[in-house]
Parts: sequence; C-alpha cells; structure tokens
Amino acid sequence: MADVRKFTTIEEMEADTKALVQRACDVCAETWQDRAEMQKNHCKFGETGVCCRNCSMGPCRITPKAPRGICGADEHAIAARNYLRSISAGTSSHSDHAREILHVLHSAKRDGAYQIRDEQKLIRLAVEWDVALRTADGAERDIYDIGREVAEKGLEEFGKAFGEMRFPSRAIQERQDLWHKEDIWPRAIDREVVTAMHMTHMGNSADPEALIRQGLRTSIANGWGGSMLGTEITDILFGTPTVWTTEGNLGVLEHDMVNLVVHGHDPVFSEALVMAAESKEMVDYCKSKGIKGINVVGLCCTANEIAMRHGVRMAGNFLQQENAILTGAVEMMCVDIQCIFPALAQLSKCFHTKFVTSSPIARIPGSDYVEFKPENAMENATQLVRAAIDNYENRNPERVWIPATKQTATVGYPTEQIIRHLDNITNSNVDELGSYKPAVEAIKAGVLRGAVAIVGCNNPRVRPDYSHYEIIKELLKNDILVVATGCAAQLATKAGLLNKEARYQCGDGLKRVCELMDIPPVLHMGACVDISRMMLLANGIARDWGVKLTEIPVVGCAPEWMSEKAVSIANYVVSTGLDVYLGIEPQVSGSTQMMEWITEGTRKLTGGGFIISTDPHVLVKNIIDGIEAKREALGI
Amino acid sequence: MKKLFDRAFDGSDEMYAWAERVVAEASAKYDDNTPVAYPNTAYYLGILYSMTGNKNQTLGELKQSMQWIKSQYTRERRLHDVFTTGVGTACAAEVIEAVKYIGGVNPYEGTGPYLGHMSDAEVRELGVPLVTGDIPGFVVLIGAAPTDEQAVEIIKSYQAKSIYVFLVGECCLQAERKGLKMGHPVRVYPVGPELPSVCHVVSVAVRAGLIFGAIQPGDYDGMREYTFKRINAAVNAFEPVPDITVACGAGAISYGFPVVTNDDHDMWRVPRSLVVQPDVSKFVETSIEARQMKIKITNIDIPVSFATAFEGEVIRKADMQIEANGSRHDSLEFVRTLEASTIEDHKITVIGKDLDEYEFGAQMNLALLVEVGGKKMQSDFEPVFERQFHAWLNCIEGVMHTGQRDMIRVRVSKDAYDAGFRLKHFGEVLYAKLKQEYEQVVDRVQVTIITEPDKVHELRVEANHVYDKRDERLRTLTDESVSDFYSCIMCQSFSPSHVCIVTPERLGLCGAVSWLDAKATHQLDPNGPCRIVTKGDATDEKIGIWENVDNAVNQFSMGALEHVTLYSIMQDPMTSCGCFECICGIEPTSGGVVIVNREHVPMTPLGMTFSEMASMTGGGIQTPGYMGHGKHFIASKKFMAADGGPARIVWLPKALKDQVAERLNATAKTLYDIDNFTDMIADETVTSDDPEKLLEFLTEKGHPVLNLPSLFE
Repeated sequence: MADVRKFTTIEEMEADTKALVQRACDVCAETWQDRAEMQKNHCKFGETGVCCRNCSMGPCRITPKAPRGICGADEHAIAARNYLRSISAGTSSHSDHAREILHVLHSAKRDGAYQIRDEQKLIRLAVEWDVALRTADGAERDIYDIGREVAEKGLEEFGKAFGEMRFPSRAIQERQDLWHKEDIWPRAIDREVVTAMHMTHMGNSADPEALIRQGLRTSIANGWGGSMLGTEITDILFGTPTVWTTEGNLGVLEHDMVNLVVHGHDPVFSEALVMAAESKEMVDYCKSKGIKGINVVGLCCTANEIAMRHGVRMAGNFLQQENAILTGAVEMMCVDIQCIFPALAQLSKCFHTKFVTSSPIARIPGSDYVEFKPENAMENATQLVRAAIDNYENRNPERVWIPATKQTATVGYPTEQIIRHLDNITNSNVDELGSYKPAVEAIKAGVLRGAVAIVGCNNPRVRPDYSHYEIIKELLKNDILVVATGCAAQLATKAGLLNKEARYQCGDGLKRVCELMDIPPVLHMGACVDISRMMLLANGIARDWGVKLTEIPVVGCAPEWMSEKAVSIANYVVSTGLDVYLGIEPQVSGSTQMMEWITEGTRKLTGGGFIISTDPHVLVKNIIDGIEAKREALGI
Repeated sequence: MKKLFDRAFDGSDEMYAWAERVVAEASAKYDDNTPVAYPNTAYYLGILYSMTGNKNQTLGELKQSMQWIKSQYTRERRLHDVFTTGVGTACAAEVIEAVKYIGGVNPYEGTGPYLGHMSDAEVRELGVPLVTGDIPGFVVLIGAAPTDEQAVEIIKSYQAKSIYVFLVGECCLQAERKGLKMGHPVRVYPVGPELPSVCHVVSVAVRAGLIFGAIQPGDYDGMREYTFKRINAAVNAFEPVPDITVACGAGAISYGFPVVTNDDHDMWRVPRSLVVQPDVSKFVETSIEARQMKIKITNIDIPVSFATAFEGEVIRKADMQIEANGSRHDSLEFVRTLEASTIEDHKITVIGKDLDEYEFGAQMNLALLVEVGGKKMQSDFEPVFERQFHAWLNCIEGVMHTGQRDMIRVRVSKDAYDAGFRLKHFGEVLYAKLKQEYEQVVDRVQVTIITEPDKVHELRVEANHVYDKRDERLRTLTDESVSDFYSCIMCQSFSPSHVCIVTPERLGLCGAVSWLDAKATHQLDPNGPCRIVTKGDATDEKIGIWENVDNAVNQFSMGALEHVTLYSIMQDPMTSCGCFECICGIEPTSGGVVIVNREHVPMTPLGMTFSEMASMTGGGIQTPGYMGHGKHFIASKKFMAADGGPARIVWLPKALKDQVAERLNATAKTLYDIDNFTDMIADETVTSDDPEKLLEFLTEKGHPVLNLPSLFE
C-alpha cells in the first residue's frame, strides 16, 4: 500500500545534467562545471578571509610571516571586515528588492498594471503601523490611499533620521528586550548598511566583536526589515500565497509549446509575463502561428514566487540555469535580479534562445536589455511574449533534448496557510483557532521532534543538491518537519519530497502529522526573501509555547549556501536566537577569533550560533543532536 | 512531568509482565499442545493474526508470540517505537484474554454483563451500516465515569447518534446499575471488567480490515493504514488513566483511533490523537470531532430517541403497551403515489383511536398509509420506500417492527408510551426519513395512520390489489426483460475493490440493494454509488458474461477485477465485500452447495462455520467455489444458473430454509417441475457436520443434484 511513488534520486538528476553538459560540448559552449574546473584551487587568502583590499596600500594578505597588513590590521580585523561587508551586500540585495516593490505599491492603481490583491493583509499592516483606515470625517478611506501611505511608511524604514525600525517589534518580548539590551535593534536599513560600510573603511573598526555586532544589527535590518517588507508587500500586491499543486524539474519544458523561462527573484516582472502569456491576445497570436500554446516556467527564486501564487511550474534551481538553455527548447529566458549567471548571454547565443535582462540592477553584456517599468508593465510583457512566440520558428528540433524528469509538488505554505492547516487539526471543544499550539503540542509530546528550516543555494564546492537531499531525508525519518525556501525547496520539489506521498519517507510521527494536516512533510514557504516568514513562524511557536526563541527545538540549516544574501540570512536567524547549521564554511577561517565568534561568540549575545560541517551526514547528525539537546533542556 | 513516551513504554512493560504471568500460570496447568482459540471466528487471535500472520492455535505458539511482542518493544525516542510498542501492548492483552478462553469455555459467563470476544458474524453484520454511515463509528469507554449517571448519559448520547459503544472496566457495571439495556442488538457492548479485554475491540477493527479490506494477515502497515483511513473509532478513557492505559492508547492511536480523556495529570496533548477534555459531558462531541465521524442528522420531533442503535431492540410482551399484529387484526403499511398537487406536505392524520384510548397490553388495528408525489417519482419506487419502513420504525426507541405489507407486527413499549409516544409520531418518523433519504424523488409526503378497524380493512383490500400488481411486475422483471443493470460500489469505503452488479434477478449480496433500489439510488444521485450498466449484447448469456459488465467491474474496481460472470460460482464469480447475508460453498461429496446465513453459528457439512467459509472470500477477491450473496438470491432462477441452478442447493440452516421455502419451492416447480423442493434439502436436523449422512439423505429424497454433472468438469 505504501511507497508506491517513485522519487527522483540525485543520481538521476545528475544523469540529466551530464547529458545536458555533453550537449554544451557539442556546441562548444562552456558551463559552470568547466569554469569551476578552471577556478580550482581557489585563492587561499580569499577563501579564509584574510585578504584586505579595502585601500590602495594593499592588497594585504596575512601569512605567518606577515601577520598584519600595512595599517596594522590583523587577520581578525580583516576577516571580520570582509564578513561584515558580505552581510551588508546581502542585506542590500533583499532590501533594495523590497524597496522596488514598495514603489510598485505606491504606484498601484485600481485600473493600473498593478492592483492590491490582498486588502486584508494591507489593512492589518496599516493597523500595525497606525495608518488611518478612515478619513478625518469618519468615511472609509480608499484602499489605494491606504496602500500609498503604507508604502511611504515602508519606505521610511530605509532612511528614517531618528528612531528605530518597526518590524522587530513583531518579535516576542524576550527577543525585543535582548535586541535593545545588546544594542543591535536596527535603526534603518540604509543606515545600517552605510554604517557597516563606514566601519569597514580603512582606518576604522578593527575589533571583531564590534564588527560582528554591527553584522547582527545589519542582518536584523534584513530579516526583520528588508526581507520582511519584501514578503509583506509582495503578498499585498500579488496575493498571499495559497496551496497549489504544480510540477518541478526540467521535464516541465514542453516540446510543442513556446517555452518562456523567467529567472531571478523579483516577481513584479514575472507576474506581468505570466499575465501577458495568459492573455487572449497572446494565446490567439500563438495559435495563429500554429503553436499549441505558451509555457511559462520559473527558475531559481522567481519560480518559487510564481509557483505559490499561480501554480506556475518550476524548471529548476540555481545551478540548472544553464541546463534550461542547453535543452535547446527555450525560446526566451527573461531575468530580473540576483543569482543570474552573466554566462547565460554567451550560452544563449549557441542556441536560438533570446536572453532578456530587465533590471538596471542586473545589466549583462550580450543580453537584450528591455528595462521594465511598472507603469508600462503589460505593454513590455506583451511585447516580450510576442517576441518569444516569434522565436519559436527558430528552434532547431535537432538540437532539442528535454529530460523527461519531473515531479509533482504541493507548494505554498506561508504562515497563514500553516495556521489554517493547524486549525484543521484542532478540536473546537478544547482548542483555540489561529494558533501554533497544535504544532507546539505535537512537539512537546514528542510526535514531532522539532522543525528545521532548510534554505539556501547550490554551491559547486559540494556535490550540488546532494547535501540538501541527504539532510532532508534524514530529518524526515527522524520526525522532524522541514520548512524550505529558495533552491533548497526546489531540490525537494525535484526529488518529489513536496508531494504528499512523501509522508511514506517519514518516521511515524511526522507521517501521522502529515496525514492529519493533509500536508507534505516538506513545506514550501517561498523564495529566499521569504525566510522572513520562517522568522515569524519560529516567533509564533515560541509565543504560543510561552518559552524563549532559544529554547524551541527549531533551527535553520543552509547546506549549500553561496551568496552574500545567505551570509546576511544566517546572521539574522542567529540574531533571532536560532542555531544555524552550515554545510559550507564562511570565509573567515583565517581568523581563530572570528571562527570563535560565529560559532560560540554570537551564542553568548543572541543565544544562536553556527554549527559547521561540509559532510551532510555529520551535519544532519549535529542537527538532530542539537534538537534533542533542546528538548532535553525543556524536559520534553 | 513524566514524558509521554516513557509512560507508554512503562505501561507496555506492565501489560507484558501481566501476560507473562498469565502464560506461566497456564503452562503450569496445560501442555504446549493445548488448543487456544476464540469462539466463532475464522481469524484466530485477531490482532496477532492480522499483524503477524501467525495463527496461535496452541499454548506453545502463544508462548512464541510473546517473543514477537517483546521484539516490538523498541525504545528509540520516536513515535514509531511508541506505535509498535502500543500494538505490542494490544497483542499482550490479547494473549491475556486468549488464555481465559482455553478449554472452550466462556470465561465471562455468569460473571456480570460482560460479553468478551465478538463473533465474526456480528462483525460482518456491522458492514452495511458502517458503509451507509448508519453507524458512524465506534467508541470504547475505559474505566469509570465520574458518576453512574454520567456514564449512562454518555452511552445514551452515543446511542442517539447511532455510534456503537464498547465498555471496558467499571463503566460496564455503571451501566448495569442504572438498568441500561445492553448487548450487540442495541449497540452497547460491555466487553470485560479488566483493561486487557479492550483487545476484543481492537480485534473488531482489525477483523473489519481482514473481512472488508482484504488486508492480508501479516500486512502490518497495510492494516494500520486501513484502520486509520476507514475505521472510525475513538477511545474515551476516564480518569485516572494509568501508564498501562496510556500504552493501550498508543496502540489505539497507532491504528488511527484518537483517545479522549478527562485526566489532566501527567497527560500530554496531541492534536486529533490525544485530547484532554476535562468536562466529560463534552466527551461525545469532542470524540466525534477528533475522529471526524459524520453523523447523519435526524432531527425528528418525537418524545423518544431515534437512532440505528435501537434497531435491534426487542420489546417483550411484559414491557409492551400495545401491539398491532397483521396476522390477527388487519394491519398494513402502504405507499402510494398521488398527483403532487393533491398532497399537503407534512400532513399527518390519525383516523380512529390513539394509543391513550387503549388499555395497557391491548391489540389494535393499524394502517400506515404514506402518500407521496414528485416529478421524478415512479411507481416502481413505492415498494422500495415501503421496505424501508422496517428499518426506520425500528430506529425509534421503544418501537419494534417486523414483517411487511399486510403482515406487519408493531409493538410500542410502555416506556415509550409513558414518554408521550403517540400514533402521529409514526407519521413524523416516516415523513422525516422519506424526505431525508429520497429528497431527489419525493417532493411531498403526507401520512395517514388508521386504527378504525373498518377503514383499515377497506384499505387492506385496496392495498392487496396493488401488492398483487407489484408481484406481477416483479415476476416480469427479469434479467432478460430489462436493458440496464446497475453497478453498486456503496461498500467501497470499506472494501475498496469490490463491485456488485445488481440485476432484477440478482440483488446485491448485502441483501439491501435490489435492482429497484439501485435504480432509485441512481435517480437520487446519478454520480453516486449506483451507475447504469447498459447490458448490450451478451458474450455468453448462459454463464452470464457481458462485455459491458466486465468493463464496469474493471472501471469501478480500479482495475482490480477484469471479468465477472453473473450466473456461475465456478468461473469468475462475483466478488464479495464481506457484509454478505449468506455464503454458499461447494460440498464435494454431493457435488452441490451448502448455503449458510450469517446468523447461523454452528458447523456445516463443509466442516466450516459461516465465519470460516466467509473468510475464504470477501474484500473484493474472487474465490471460485465460494460466493457471498443476499437471501433473496437463493430463490432466484438465476442462482448458479450456469452451474445447474437452485437444484445444486443441498443444505440450508433450518431457519433460513423456512424463510425462503415458499419462493424457492415455486422456483423449483417452474424450473424442474419438482414439488416441495425444500423437503429434499438437508438442514441441521439431518446433519450438521457429516457429508456421508448428507449424501444418504439426498439419495433417499432423490435430490436432483445427484443427476447433475460434476461442477469440476
């Protein structure tokens, strides 16, 4: 009866990749595998974080023979400065993305290209921020008026002159007190980034503790600031995600349809493309050309965003971006921001694929640049869809090879959906609705041992996707619920672990919970910007449990992280009081003090720290031990 | 606070130690070859058999099973270990109980209200009501309610919702002290005085899996998945709940049955699994929600309860306020169709004396005339509705109904009368149920209840004409005369791959769905359990092979079945869900078949009891030589038509024979020109276990089977 489902193994995924890479050789194109080979033996100074190139006296590199830079900065100062700069870049990425979306909200109109889709969420935020719902004479305010004012307040979060940021006060009191006590409550997003850049300028901070503290503060400005804004406002504009059944992996590309891949992170662009592709005008145009239809699919975090709002299918994660083009079946790849290989420009020229960049933030030589502006979103999008359709005739069938591999997946579990599903397992005779208490009870009793947020990227430093897979499988077997975002969530999709039948891969406790709640054992919570949702989830669990965030058996894990966003994320998770298990070592190992700081030092400040191992089996054992230790401390 | 897992682990150790002690005591008295068995079951020690596939027929085997139970007591801190430990605890309890039955004794006889092990026949009887939702589920109460009153209140509240209640421990005595009617017929089953007797309840659940679900013995996970998905059961454990009860609870939860308790001490909450409800007056609602049982809401304005739990209630003469007996005083029930416009909906008229105008213990005339109208109403549905009166009226607390047409017998108890039950309440019940069950067909209903003897007589004459016409219609209603058969998959909620094909001459094997019923059901919901199977051309009309029937069976069994014949039990016989009224099996010595009905417990000449024969088939599996069927099918011309027809019948339990005699004799007369065919059929007065004696009897009577060719050629 059980386990009739076929799950996709890493080996099967790798076989597809191998076949596609072989096709790259056939057309003399290069892929990341070639470049990783060329980059082998990475610079040790960079890798360990002890190369300083913050002024033109250097670069200075720390060795036993040269233990200090020209200015006297030692390996600890240099590694800490570099580390803080990474956090700042990561915070900037998520936050600037949020800023763009706030501007879209500000310009939203009832009859414009973008409307407000989740009015209730907007009203809740307006109430939270003291934005009036009624005019002075008591009349109901137009929702778009309210939206504009909320957008303005949101934009103030970036550069307010005085005071502090708003969202951190969503945290439970214990956490708020700690952030105040440790003086790491961020003041404003831009301010923390600028302060960080200032502190790391030549001739400023050399004290790792000061730099670490600023790192924490800058990261909170992301997790409880920029990212949270990005998530909230995206929900308001495009709707809070709901549960959808979709499919994932390159098998979602179609032989007889126009394949349009959207790649990046910002849904503003991709939403418009999805709408345009579904418009009657474009559908008719497509048919007039004798083509069956338009197949819009997502890649990387854009895929996560539109999958959980429209059920759009997901072609793959970060290290599959070249693979998509290598199928020879992609008419157009439209990208927005973040995690886009410049290499795509060159690669797409080996095929008929049009490579379109759209954001001033991500300009790539060799691409077709069509700057995307909210005011003419639909015209832009329609024009691009038309171009993709026109390009179909240029597809060379002899060069097409689409792997058959794909899996069905149930996606779209923001906190609102999790609560809704928890409500389903309450008993109205004894329980209250709208709370995480059912989850807390299941954890306390031992049915669930805990929960782990698996997040992050792919990284050629380790066998891609393997660490994600191995860790998730082991957690499921041990009755540990997994929530996932970003490229980790996509691995789970490709493997089939977002299918409800994946409960058969779980221990009896998690299996029963999945059956009763009607959920898959891995909950897809969105894109990497949505890790803010996970912070609210952890916070809600601690609140409804009545314990500290540091006490709950809930941790984060980034098995294959690579970007600076991930460094920022890891820091805000630690700031929130949760341990973070890393499968890639942060580039500070040249400093014993920094290694101490990121693993144990922060733990003294916030209660959370990093646990690092590049061996996924060791790492997952560490996670389980960590969770059991937290349980033991709670007496459960 | 002691951890939940530790409580379950420690409690399971207690149960194991208990079982060890009991087995050791038995070993001192009996040797290892001493037989061990529960009565009236083909499934041995049900839990151990279903979870391991081992039959445990001797004390020695039981000892070996103790090793297996121990192996289930793993101690990782994971729910898996708690679950296997919990199931192990239930098995240990089963060992404790089984030892009590050594020597073929009934250990509970004369010890109190306890019933112990439930027979297979009783389990099977629950099949249809579970499928139809007439029994929404089971609840087992463990321990003592805070007061006797509360115990009875909870039980009655479940009864009123038709939920089957098992009692374990002190609550049995609480109910007894309050004089509550108990027993299988009223769906209150006092199991035993001690906790291990709870295994008899688990055994009912797993036997349902074996019988209806075709779960293979030993398919551990398959069984747990079946019970979790399909058996709506819950546990109510009264304070105090010691570790050993927690361990049993772990077993229950493993099978998917939530535990509701009022014990807050050292108790952990687990959503939809372990629910703490301090207020016992809310146990019923809390349990129904925890197991998500679907209660059929029947709000009928009568002064007594209305629930299927009362269907089996017997009213003895001493408790009887009044009786209508059609065999002595004209009494009848009659449905007729009128133009809807002439009917005043919900009008209830009483003509003649009402109940309070008769003496205690009196006899009366009674006519229940129901007039219906509606655009989709067809006169073919009249008898379908009329046959339902029996079930509906019996659901009234304090009313007993038997028979049909003008041969009904209705009793109203003194208690019901004292509670205010009067004639118009019959009308309320009939009105409400007709509207509820047949709302797609029936737009308006009015009920007239007549006790005035002349008027009843007048109506009886009129009704007799209609009854005759209906019989005539039924006679012409043959498999050949219709163009459509119906598929019925009502049972699939329990028996996922079983499909019945219902034809005019072959009713569903449960006995509850005739061709007309199926037709009406299809009218009510075209996408529901009964679908039209257009007959088309027969591939082989004699054996009963139709391409369309095969296609339907294939489609509705999700590919589990490819071919079914309608008239043979040898070639691709129709499958069974498990809730069949009767089963027939080949008797090799005579070359005939033995038919036995569910109610008949003793041995048959096949060397098997009903339960054992029944276990040969069921769960949607084809077993040539065995077939489940309805009682009415016995007298059908199509019964085994391909294999020689009813002439194959060589043995029937006497009670069943009497029931079918008239129609079977008529059929035999038509088919074979034999008079009084049933006199040639043996029963338990001839032999109940000896094939040679059976053959002797058949030879002596000149039974036609002896001239038929062998079934195995």
